[in-house]
This record gives sequence, structure tokens and C-alpha cells, in this order.
Amino acid sequence: MAAQQGQVFLDELEIDEAEVDRRKEFLEFGPADEEALETLNELARKYADPVIEDLYRHFLAFDETKAFFRDPRVLTRVKGLQKEYFLRLTQGDYGADYVANRLRIGTVHESINLAPKWYLGGYNFYLRAVASRVFEAFGKTPEKALSVFQSLMKLVFMDIGLAVDTYIFARESTMRKQQEAIQELSTPVLQIRERLLLLPIIGIIDSQRARLITESLLQAIRANRAKVVVMDITGVGTIDSKVANHLIQTVSAAKLMGASVIVTGLSAEVAQALVSLGIALEKLNTVGDLQGGIEEAERLLGYRVSRLPAPASDTRSA
Amino acid sequence: MPDDVRVSINSESDVVTARQAGRQLAAAAGFSSTDQTLIATAISEIARNIIVYAHRGEMIVSQLQRQSRRGIRVVGRDQGPGIENTELALSDGYSTANSLGMGLPGARRLMDEFNLSSSLGIGTTVTMIKWAR
Amino acid sequence: MRVPILKQGDVLIASIQAALSDQELLNFREALAEQVGAYRARGVVIDVTALDVLDSFATRTLRDVAHAARLRGAKTVVVGIQPEVAFAMVQLGLALESVPTALDLEEGMALLTSGRTGDGGDAG
Repeated sequence: MAAQQGQVFLDELEIDEAEVDRRKEFLEFGPADEEALETLNELARKYADPVIEDLYRHFLAFDETKAFFRDPRVLTRVKGLQKEYFLRLTQGDYGADYVANRLRIGTVHESINLAPKWYLGGYNFYLRAVASRVFEAFGKTPEKALSVFQSLMKLVFMDIGLAVDTYIFARESTMRKQQEAIQELSTPVLQIRERLLLLPIIGIIDSQRARLITESLLQAIRANRAKVVVMDITGVGTIDSKVANHLIQTVSAAKLMGASVIVTGLSAEVAQALVSLGIALEKLNTVGDLQGGIEEAERLLGYRVSRLPAPASDTRSA
Repeated sequence: MPDDVRVSINSESDVVTARQAGRQLAAAAGFSSTDQTLIATAISEIARNIIVYAHRGEMIVSQLQRQSRRGIRVVGRDQGPGIENTELALSDGYSTANSLGMGLPGARRLMDEFNLSSSLGIGTTVTMIKWAR
Repeated sequence: MRVPILKQGDVLIASIQAALSDQELLNFREALAEQVGAYRARGVVIDVTALDVLDSFATRTLRDVAHAARLRGAKTVVVGIQPEVAFAMVQLGLALESVPTALDLEEGMALLTSGRTGDGGDAG
């Protein structure tokens, strides 16, 4: 189960075995480093508790990070998890499971809104605390201490890289979901009379959106057996040749389904500009404003709208 | 569901077979109905080109997975006369595919990735990929 | 596989089944032209509801059928193009140009009998 979840992370972030190996290559992290880290494990178990205590004392000394630990039970639990995390650094076997685990942790940090600056600062504190203990332990052989510490740094930087990736991915996912929500809201097709659809288009039209709009419209034509569509583009941002072509395609597709499209909201200036770009606007049936367009549509459908005379009994006067 | 389907194109009835195979594979890969139609239409155009210009060839439709994205790859291959000017063959802009055209620019518009390679006297290979949205 | 062609008044209605081969489409073109002549039909409705793909060949054939029918004095309407097919056609750059289209059989017949084919203009 954990393995499956890990796989989901790896897939979504597009971090496969080859990618992990590449990162290790770039960090120059190899089997020698793995061995070195494993030799550090015993020492790590000895200093784990005091280092954690120091680290959390540091977190609690700053209001912003203290805020995450108002509940003492949370604090205790997190310390325990943190200890596991740090010990894992020196337990070897830094393969797919390891990476999946690190990605999961990064995701948790992002989801509680721990800003990168605190995460990185905390990690830095940890590294400094470990550095002094490692150099102390290796006393007479500082070159060995340095070498082991460098192996640790390589792994830690890979971890940080993964955590940052999860942050970015989470932010991008949110943005993508918001985009989709906006797109759904922004392609309404409204039936305003039998056989008559209104398609108000607002905002920026890119090819993705143009496709969505066209698909929605065509489905609506079938569902409503529409014969006329009033497509209002008053609210469309920039209408350049690309957008114009998207609109013309939409009109052509509607026509193939037997529906004629009246385009409203195309200002004279924009029309001029498009014609001078060589866009074949004469294919389009355009009417200046929305009201005019709807009236034209009703006419095409055989409606005649007339105003009822004022009621005779209304004799109120100023 | 197999990962790929190979259809020999020897006669024009194979055009229909190829595009149905493509549609089925696209459906199995989770493509929307609209996209299935786009893929089937692109296959139809390329398969037809094979019949018209090379008389025979093959189409291979395969499911693809690039990291987290699923896709369909269509390869149309023949050993026909080849295309003299591939740039010209691809340069149709938005104009209608008429009887003189090879439908290549149209097929390209339907797909996400498109590659044409051809040598005179040797043959032509069209590779197209569409990614599920 | 032959395309069934029904007669309703002076209108011929042809329903194209799915997956028609190129040769079958060409046979249909011949058969329809013949029948327009034989029955002196004034209108033709070609129903493509069942077609899941309309590629360049099929589109050209439909245009040719309409042209042949017109030469023999009949107006043609193509009906039943499905949303996805319409979408693929415009992406491909295909158009039926001078062949009018309608949503379905009912609309197609209405278009023929109202005499408003070919120009989509005012009812007058």
C-alpha cells in the first residue's frame, strides 16, 4: 500500500528511476557515499535525541515556526517523526522507496503551509548541529569527518531538491485546478428561446479554450436542436488573427450541424483590423450589438416581437 | 487490450479497419470521444494517402506512456515513390484539403506531434502522436 | 453493402451506414444520380448520422453527389453530422461549401420544402 502511494508520487512528479540516478550523478553521490553514511548510523542514533531537542528549541524560539506546535501532542509526534527522518539518512538503500518517502514528507510540509524558508532554515540548523558532532567524534581524523559529512550533504541536498519539487508541483496543481474551474464556468451555452442559443464569450481565447467552447456549443446544438446561435464576443480580450480563426472554425462547425451563427460584439475597428490581416470576415454574419443580434436571430426563426399597448385603465399622470 | 495494433493497408477497405482499430485503442487509453474521432480521422487521411500514392503499406497504432501521460502513436509507413518536397506537402495553412492535396497538414492539425520522413524511390513514414488531456 | 435510398414524395432519402468503404461510397454516388434521374426527384437528403468519421474523401464524395444531383435538377441537403465529426472536419479544414446542411432528417426535409436551400438567406 505504501509502495503504491509512493509510485503515485513518482508518476505524478515524473521522477522515475532514471531521473533519480541522474540527480545522484549530478551530486556525485555513489556507492562509496552510501557506505560512508551507513558507518555514520551508530553515531546518528547516539546524537539523534539531543539534536532533535536543539532543533525544536530553535523552532519554538521563533513565533512563525512556534505556531505549528501549539498542541503539545503534535510537538511530541512530530519530534518522533523527525527522529525517524534523520535516522533514515544513514540507513542506506536510497532507491525508489526512499525517494517516494521523501516526496511524501515534502507534500505534508507543503500541505501545512510550511514556507520553504523555514524548512530550509531548519535543515540548515540540523546540518550544523550534526557537523560539530561528526567532527567531534572523528577527532583525530578530520579528513574522514569531512568526507563523511560531505556524503551526508549530498544526500541532504537530494532530499531538499525532492521537497522543493513537491512544493512546486503542489502549487502548480492548485493553479491548474483553478484554471479548469474557471474554464468550466466560462463556457456557458444558454438556450434563450426554442432553437436559439446564446454563447457569450468572455476573456482570453487560446486554442485550448477555443476547443472547449466549440465542443460545448456543438453538443448544445444537438441537445437543443438549435437552428441559430448568437455568439457574443463583446467580452473577448484581444482578437488577433489566431482568435479570429478559432471563431471562424466554431462558426463553420456549427454550420455543418445546420445551425447558423450570428456574431455580435465585433467592433468596427476590430473588424477593420482583421480584414486588413486577410481574415475572411464576410463568411461571418455579424451584427453590432447583442440586442440586434438576438432580434436578427428571432427574425430568422420566424418570430416577430411586438410591444403590447399600454393598459387602458392606467390613467395615472404626473 | 494489446499495446499496439498493426493493419496492413492493401486496399481501401483497410482504411476503415485502420481507423476503427485506432479508435478502439484510443478509447481503451481513455481518450475523450472527440479525441477518438480526431485520431480516427487522422488515421483515415494517412491510410488513404498510402493507398493513393503507394498502393500498399501498413499502419501501426500503439498506446504510449511518457511518465504520467498516456498517448496514442500512429505510424503510417509505405515503400512507395516518396514525396519530393516534404515542406510543400506540409505547408497547406488553413485551406481546404482538396483533391490535389495529400491531407498531411490537416492530419497534423488533428494531432499533437507529427513527423514526416520520406525519400524518393524509397518510401514514406508518417509518425503522429496525440496525448490524452 | 448498399446504401438504402427511400422515396418520400419527390425527395430521396439516403442513410449512409457507418464504415462504408470508398468503393461503396462511389457506388452510392452512381446509384443516387441514377435514382434522381429515374424518379425526377427534386430533393435529396443524405443522412450521415451513423458516420463516426468524415474524412477528406468522404467529404469530396458528398460534394460530388450533391453536384451530380444538382445537374439532374435536385437540391441536396446533408444531415446528421455529429458534433465530434463536425469538429474534426473543421480542424482538418474540410467544408461542404455549397452543400447545405441541417441538424437531422426533419430539419433537412423542412429546408428542402421551404425552398431555402443553398443560400441560407432571408425567408423573404
